[in-house]
Amino acid sequence: MNVWLLAAFALILGLIPCAVVIFREPPMDRLVGLELSSTIVSLLLLLLAQGFHRPSLFDLALTVALLSFAGSLVFARFLERWV
Amino acid sequence: MQHALATLLLAAGVVVVLMSCVGVLVMPHLYDRLHYVGPASTLGAFLIGAALVVQDTLKQQGVKSIMVVLLLVIISPVITHATARAARIREFGRWVVLDEEKTS
Repeated sequence: MNVWLLAAFALILGLIPCAVVIFREPPMDRLVGLELSSTIVSLLLLLLAQGFHRPSLFDLALTVALLSFAGSLVFARFLERWV
Repeated sequence: MQHALATLLLAAGVVVVLMSCVGVLVMPHLYDRLHYVGPASTLGAFLIGAALVVQDTLKQQGVKSIMVVLLLVIISPVITHATARAARIREFGRWVVLDEEKTS
């Protein structure tokens, strides 16, 4: 248990308000919660990779950041026209 | 010394991210919520990335975490703008709204 893993657990707690927003609010607010949680998850993977001393897992954080960008744009465009 | 500085930066970054989570939960309206995505993905990401770089200077981890932080900082305004644009188009029907059509 080092300081990086402690910070990672603190960030996991930060996902709870995002989940509450995603479950209870109207659609556009859910998109905001999803964006915030994807940012948190990518930072979380950085901290976990550092905490477990696995440098190869840093690629995972990069992948999550890139793919969640595309996903959020697609959701925004979808909510703009339909639903 | 290096480790203490990294811990300080890390704690600051985590606090920024958690406070922006609380902000998203507490704020009543969509545009108010959208403000709080900004600090998490620019300031929080910058502080956490700085902690990682301070911990082990520019090894492979450092370079990769710099890449992730740069990516998040570049992406965040784009996402915020796209979301606000979608919300406005949902609200008014199109992006450009004349002054006399505004309801509030």
